Amino acid sequence: MTWSSRLTVRVLLALLAFAVLARLPAGLDIGFQFDAELAVVWGFGILSLVLLTGYVGQVSLCQATFAGVGAYAAGMMVSTYHVSYLIAVAVAVLAAFALGVVVGLPALRLSGITLAIVTLGIALVFDRYVFQDAAFAWFTGGSGGWRVDGARMFGVQMDSSKHLLAAYVLLVGLFCLVALLMVNLHDSGAGRRFRAIRDSELAASTMGVNLTRYKLLAFGMSAAIAGLGGSFYPLVAGSVSPQPFWLFTSLQLAAIAVLMGVRYVPAAALGGVFMAFVPDVLTRFGHGNVGRYSYDISFDWFQIAVGVLLIIQLILMPDGVWGDLRGRIAHAAAHAKSAARAVAKGRVRVA
Amino acid sequence: MLRVRDVTVRFGGIVALDGVSLDLNRGEILGLIGPNGAGKTTLFNCISGVIRPDQGSMFFEGRSLKFAPPHERARRGIARTFQNLQLWGSMTVQENLTVPMDALGGRNTFSDALHLPFSTYAERASSERARAILHVLELDDYARTLAGDLPAGIQRRVEIARALAGRPQLLLLDEPAAGLDARETGHLAELLHTVRERFHVSMLLVDHDMSLVLPVSDYVYVLDFGKVLAKGRPSAIQNDPKVIAAYLGDESSKESNKSRDVVAMPRRKDEAPLLEVKQLAAGYGHLEVIRDVNLAVRPGEVVACIGANGAGKTTTLRAISGMIRPRSGTVTFDGRDITGKTAEHISRQGLIHIPEGRGLFPNLSVEDTLRLVSNSIGKEPDLATAYRLFPKLKERRHQAVGTLSGGEQQMVALARAVLARPQLVMVDEMSQGLAPTVVRQLFDIIRMMRDEGIAVLIVEQFVDSALEVADRAYVFEHGTIGHSGSAAELRADRKLISGSYLGSAVDVVAASNGNGHHADPALMEVVSVKLPAKLKRTLEERAEREGRPTGAVVMELLEGVKRV
Repeated sequence: MTWSSRLTVRVLLALLAFAVLARLPAGLDIGFQFDAELAVVWGFGILSLVLLTGYVGQVSLCQATFAGVGAYAAGMMVSTYHVSYLIAVAVAVLAAFALGVVVGLPALRLSGITLAIVTLGIALVFDRYVFQDAAFAWFTGGSGGWRVDGARMFGVQMDSSKHLLAAYVLLVGLFCLVALLMVNLHDSGAGRRFRAIRDSELAASTMGVNLTRYKLLAFGMSAAIAGLGGSFYPLVAGSVSPQPFWLFTSLQLAAIAVLMGVRYVPAAALGGVFMAFVPDVLTRFGHGNVGRYSYDISFDWFQIAVGVLLIIQLILMPDGVWGDLRGRIAHAAAHAKSAARAVAKGRVRVA
Repeated sequence: MLRVRDVTVRFGGIVALDGVSLDLNRGEILGLIGPNGAGKTTLFNCISGVIRPDQGSMFFEGRSLKFAPPHERARRGIARTFQNLQLWGSMTVQENLTVPMDALGGRNTFSDALHLPFSTYAERASSERARAILHVLELDDYARTLAGDLPAGIQRRVEIARALAGRPQLLLLDEPAAGLDARETGHLAELLHTVRERFHVSMLLVDHDMSLVLPVSDYVYVLDFGKVLAKGRPSAIQNDPKVIAAYLGDESSKESNKSRDVVAMPRRKDEAPLLEVKQLAAGYGHLEVIRDVNLAVRPGEVVACIGANGAGKTTTLRAISGMIRPRSGTVTFDGRDITGKTAEHISRQGLIHIPEGRGLFPNLSVEDTLRLVSNSIGKEPDLATAYRLFPKLKERRHQAVGTLSGGEQQMVALARAVLARPQLVMVDEMSQGLAPTVVRQLFDIIRMMRDEGIAVLIVEQFVDSALEVADRAYVFEHGTIGHSGSAAELRADRKLISGSYLGSAVDVVAASNGNGHHADPALMEVVSVKLPAKLKRTLEERAEREGRPTGAVVMELLEGVKRV
């Protein structure tokens, strides 16, 4: 397949995904509509890990922090400086990018478990001493956080109550666009350099890949993607608080990214949906009676479920849910093709 | 083209490279050989920028490499391959080749993500070029295969292809023939010549396998203990007694021969073997390293395994001791079948394996290390015996093992093995990285162990010392046993062994070539930049005949030209 035709297919797939995803939550109640938006926000978070871990092989346990910085930066721009929401998003993405580059600095020397611990420390520090500290009230809006009543973008009113789905459509559109760029990136020169760093840093550096530049770029881009998702959080939720961006969310993002297949872009969509909907479904419908026994599967069970699923996945489908699915589809397709060829040959012989 | 001057590298207390100087001319294939631990790979890493030398300087095309990071060196035209294959396994072969191409092309990440026309055209150009390189290296069929799925032999060729993709002027080849059999090695030699013709590259070739280096190279440097031992044309190197000694061990240690003859006890041939290995095959991943290995060790016998690097000695030991699973064949120890049993189970049977690198715990004291043995024998070990055999360790018993010298560490490993009351101890590369005097002490210990009734199977680079101690020996060649016999027989027939090390019947066609450590680098620079390699070599040879610096000869000739 030539490059241009492959690109066309990808663009069409992205448009199709957008058309389907944008309509999906229309019939749902307001709670699930909110979940759908949250799913995209976390989808961006997992997408950022697909780039950083899946492509470049760097570990990070502070992706929720990047999203949080994006959320607070957007909230601050809107509430303090009264700028249009689009500009707030741009500032948030830049802020997250800058933080990502700074966090990437230790990655120049560290890797694997030490890097994981350093990023974990960064998540902890931001959670405790930035998002929840009075000294940073100018950034976080104090203990109450920022309140965002709504915004007008592209002539459409968006807010967290009446015009909930407008923001969702925009978010899904952005998600599909970034996902498309990520898929393009994978097969391009820069994507290969990223993957070269993942497979062997030593070989990459001696083959002319500037490790400093590409590692920092990867961290910056990854943080920017997480921050882009986060920057819509104030609009979607109506306010920002530290709780969604704490350490545990980062860990959950990493776990779900691995669960769904950290090397594949579509896994981010799966992961986002999983992360936003499953806890809510559990909280809403997870209690009742079966005969004489009453049961209560609350939100807490979600954490356990993720852990158990992760173990099962690592044993049964080490490439993640999407990776496994993809392999099966490719296998089935090859099978069908050879079967079709056999049938065609048979016909010729019969004739 | 490349000048290395007095490069010294230390790792902790160990001097890996000690004032090494080396010159490489344009268009030349320069061979770099030397026994294990001689510092060849370290020198390689210095040139490609992976490690920084403690002293000395390096110049490439007249510019210093001092502050150039690895990717900058790649940009200037130095490309390399890796001994322990470093291909990007999850990418196709073609993708592997395009990385260095566009890493040097200065492409833009964002235009790549957007698939702008600029990126698309560059993409097409690099995939064309990749195909051309793959064709020369006879890899056309593998372009779309994932590099990690290929067998090791093919991966080595892909590594060369990838190095060529960055349009290098100098290609550093680190052990390209490792794991190849004799026929494949011959083919690789032809291929390297084709590569030089087609891509106009110079090469620095490191390999243990002299049967590759000698026919291919124009000039050869020999490293030993971090120093340049010899240099010269391949034909001269092959017959250089110093080089043969370095590969086969120090001949001067012959004096202690007499003592050995007294110790040597006649062994009853019919005694049932303690360890018996039949038709053993094993390997890693796609690579089958050993096949059809048959060997036996009788109780209280010292048996040596010798042979060139990569011949399969270490793998054989690992397959015996259960560190890797044998693919086929049987291993019988003390009448029991231990094929494929866990390493722990086997060590409890009384078969102790001291791996290459000794397998010690650097932060534990000597005494604690020895006490750990109680875990495997189930009672407090008899430390007094150990200190009787190894008096030196008693002095050092409270010292952390990591702070001991290499020889003392090896003693700790041996002492630990003895305390476990084994019937058989297998020692892998016991004398690796140790000075000859220390090695002699260690061999005395091996003798002591035999006197205690412990059978020993050793893998050695120091062939002479090993054969002195051993009762019998097996010579490994390309993954199987080439010869075996009593140690005395093998010692008498040095040719037999030197063949397996140095490549038998190497037909060296020495191109007219010269090189050398030039007395006056400033004058040398004139020569290396302005003259074709052949002319320069002739000049150098004349200079050597007349015992003058090359620069002086050049100046004299230039004077002559002026007068005309």
